[in-house]
Amino acid sequence: MKLTKTKHFRAFSVPLLQENPISRQMLGICSALAVTVQLKTAIVMGLSLTFVLSFSNLTISLMRHIIPRNIRMIVELSVIASLVIIADEVLRAFVYDISKQLSVFVGLIITNCIVMGRAETYALGNPPGLSFMDGLGNGAGYGSVLISVAFIRELLGSGKLLGYQVIPSRIYDWGYQDMGFMLLAPAAFIIIGLLVWLQNWLTRDR
Amino acid sequence: MSSTVKSFLFALVTAVVCSFLLTAASAGLKGFQLENIEVDKKKNILKAVGLLESADRLAKEAIQDIYSNKIRGLWVTPEGEILDTDTPAETSLPVYLYVRDGNVAAYILPVNTRGLWGKIFGYLALESDGSTVSGFTVYKHSETPGLGGEIEKRWFQSNFKGKKILDRSGNLVSISIAKGSIPASFPEEQLPHYVDGISGATLTGRFLTAGLKRVLLDYEPISIKFRSRMTIEIKEE
Repeated sequence: MKLTKTKHFRAFSVPLLQENPISRQMLGICSALAVTVQLKTAIVMGLSLTFVLSFSNLTISLMRHIIPRNIRMIVELSVIASLVIIADEVLRAFVYDISKQLSVFVGLIITNCIVMGRAETYALGNPPGLSFMDGLGNGAGYGSVLISVAFIRELLGSGKLLGYQVIPSRIYDWGYQDMGFMLLAPAAFIIIGLLVWLQNWLTRDR
Repeated sequence: MSSTVKSFLFALVTAVVCSFLLTAASAGLKGFQLENIEVDKKKNILKAVGLLESADRLAKEAIQDIYSNKIRGLWVTPEGEILDTDTPAETSLPVYLYVRDGNVAAYILPVNTRGLWGKIFGYLALESDGSTVSGFTVYKHSETPGLGGEIEKRWFQSNFKGKKILDRSGNLVSISIAKGSIPASFPEEQLPHYVDGISGATLTGRFLTAGLKRVLLDYEPISIKFRSRMTIEIKEE
């Protein structure tokens, strides 16, 4: 059997594009607006969410037969919250500047609908391996949208990528200006809207 | 075993396991975090006197290096006397000096004030004339991101540079944060004492205005010494 046909690969690849959490399911938009002014923060946020999502899916899937039904959401929440706090502590220990820029948004992964949503709808009903791949896929799907949005916003908004100037000063001499609007949250909203349109147009039924 | 008891037991075990993990993470990473916080404070002191731009990417060691070359920390009494010892009394105030070519070019006051949601920590640097603001930075706060949280942004902080804490007759008036941007009709003699505020964050501005005034009042005896061109002996370290 080819790799691309295995169940695990499909669990990973479907949420990347076809069922992308942001552009298809419209989940996790709040943080997508806030942390996409710069590529760097978007990448770190994408990685943090992927970490939290895949391990919360794994843990909850491992416990899925023993979690009492009546307290399952509380258990899911404590698993997610613990993972988020661990991610936050690690960021503060090793990439302090970025963690300051991300401020509350790493902590707010706890309330990110993607994480709870995948735990409820996927991890509770599927084996650990598949759940882990589903978490990776959804995290990567979320991260890829964040990175695309941040790429456009940082490039047009401040003429930089990853903090390095990429638009040469000669172009500024000719009268080019950075789009200040790109640094504001509504710009992310519009870009996400355009991405959704682009994806729908590319994958439309002919 | 009834299902209620089972639920309770499960919840208890989950809570204990989670708290162990969190304690381990917190205790294990504490050292790194404290070091980062220390470097971040030094970075903000350097930023307050313009030795560092927020865009600068410097390694921790480089920051420590600039800091130990240019900045001297010392304690003063509330009356403005410099303490010789490294063991301050409870009422002593910390001051940082920016030393350039053997002279004190600026002095930096720690700002620790109430904000809307929590405390605001930062530094206010004054030039050696005891009146002109050299810079202002915030390194820790709990204000709303995008509103009061803008106090940590460069556009807000850069407005402080060059402002005066004294009016023309030499009275302390401190620096106030305006409600929103300063309007064009603003009285001109007030302009040196006001900076643009943040629209949507009037309360944060009000608390910060009060806090800056309090800090400047606390340090007024030292500022008076600077105004009278006191020479400070700089200990070589």
